[in-house]
Amino acid sequence: MNRAYILEHGILEQYLLGELTAEEQVQVERVLNIDADLKNEFDILETNFEKMAFENAINPPNEVKANLMQNIKASQTKIIPLQKANPFKTYLYIASGIAACLLIGTIWLFLQLNSTDQQLEIAEEQKALLLEDIQGLTNNLEYATKYFEIVNSTDTQQYILIGNDLAPNAKVVSYVNHKSKSVIINTKELPKLDAEHDYQMWADVNGVMIDMGVINKEADLLAMNYINNAESLNITIEPAGGNDHPTVSRLVTNVYL
Amino acid sequence: MQNENTLILKIQNKDEAALSELYDNYSPALYGVIIRMCKDEQHAQNLLQDTFMTVWDKAYQYNPEKGKFYTWAYRIAKNKTLNFLRKPKNLIQTEDLGVHTNKEDSITIEPDYLQLNGCLKQLELHHQKAIELVYFEGLTHREAHKEMDVPLGTFKSYIKQALKKLQLSYDKTVVWLLIFIEIIK
Repeated sequence: MNRAYILEHGILEQYLLGELTAEEQVQVERVLNIDADLKNEFDILETNFEKMAFENAINPPNEVKANLMQNIKASQTKIIPLQKANPFKTYLYIASGIAACLLIGTIWLFLQLNSTDQQLEIAEEQKALLLEDIQGLTNNLEYATKYFEIVNSTDTQQYILIGNDLAPNAKVVSYVNHKSKSVIINTKELPKLDAEHDYQMWADVNGVMIDMGVINKEADLLAMNYINNAESLNITIEPAGGNDHPTVSRLVTNVYL
Repeated sequence: MQNENTLILKIQNKDEAALSELYDNYSPALYGVIIRMCKDEQHAQNLLQDTFMTVWDKAYQYNPEKGKFYTWAYRIAKNKTLNFLRKPKNLIQTEDLGVHTNKEDSITIEPDYLQLNGCLKQLELHHQKAIELVYFEGLTHREAHKEMDVPLGTFKSYIKQALKKLQLSYDKTVVWLLIFIEIIK
């Protein structure tokens, strides 16, 4: 599109009236930008166009202006806060709300997890304690069964060891089974010793005292080592933990088999 | 011109007083165009208000280097009026469909009221008609030449001749005005 074409085809008039397509409009504007004469022509056209409009002006009623100004006030107060500030802020509020909820939820879950962990630990401990109890009970039962079998056997002989002058109230019941080669004693009526001493049991074989074991202070009924060809059972007071040789001066009781 | 650009700048900054002043300056000229196009006072008033709402909202789009404010506002007003006239519901609203064209249908005002004034009246009738069709009734050149039943080229030359004569008479007016001013002095 050039100047000649524009003038010949009345393009300026159509441009003025807004009849051209967007593309044509841009082309005309480009020519007007570089062609001062054409621009001048257009300015005259525009001025006359405006004059003509003013000559044919008709006054609109005053209500139109009043309405317009009212609408603008309303749009001023409405549009700016609602359209500009609101959507973004609202989303921000929603997002921060969600974030806060998530944070609180996470903290709560974390605390829950911690307390669950603690409870689990306690449960594990209790379980271990119960297992120990069961183990203990099973052991006890095994012992009791074994002792009961020995004590109740027809091959078992019972000997009572009565305390001498050193321990007048002492009384120990011993069950000896030569067939199954076992010895069980009941020490319920043996006087308590201090922490530095223990009772120890000995078997006399051809004049030699052979260790049958230290008597456990905690148990009432306990098994001792069976010694072949024992002639008598003897109990002495020995230093805690037992002795290699019996302290004969501290013999508290004995019985011949 | 300078004043007009200052007003636009103020409107771009949402100055209501500036819009009020611009409205006082231009609303009669624009109303003259709108009412001649739609020929219904109530609708024309709504369209005028709508036009100025758009001026208010889209003021930032106006570029003074590309043309006068009136030209820009005229295009807005014309497009709004044409869109309104093309709306199907506008046809439904009118009571008697089919027989009359839309334009004749909605006439609610005295024809004299819409008669063209000023230097236009000094033009020959076919020149007047050509200007009226494209400037005041919102027809395109292509629609208007059919309306006048002349070839497009002929129609374009009508417009050109009419504008030249207008130019001359405006110049004369200016001369007379200058003389008048001189006399007063």
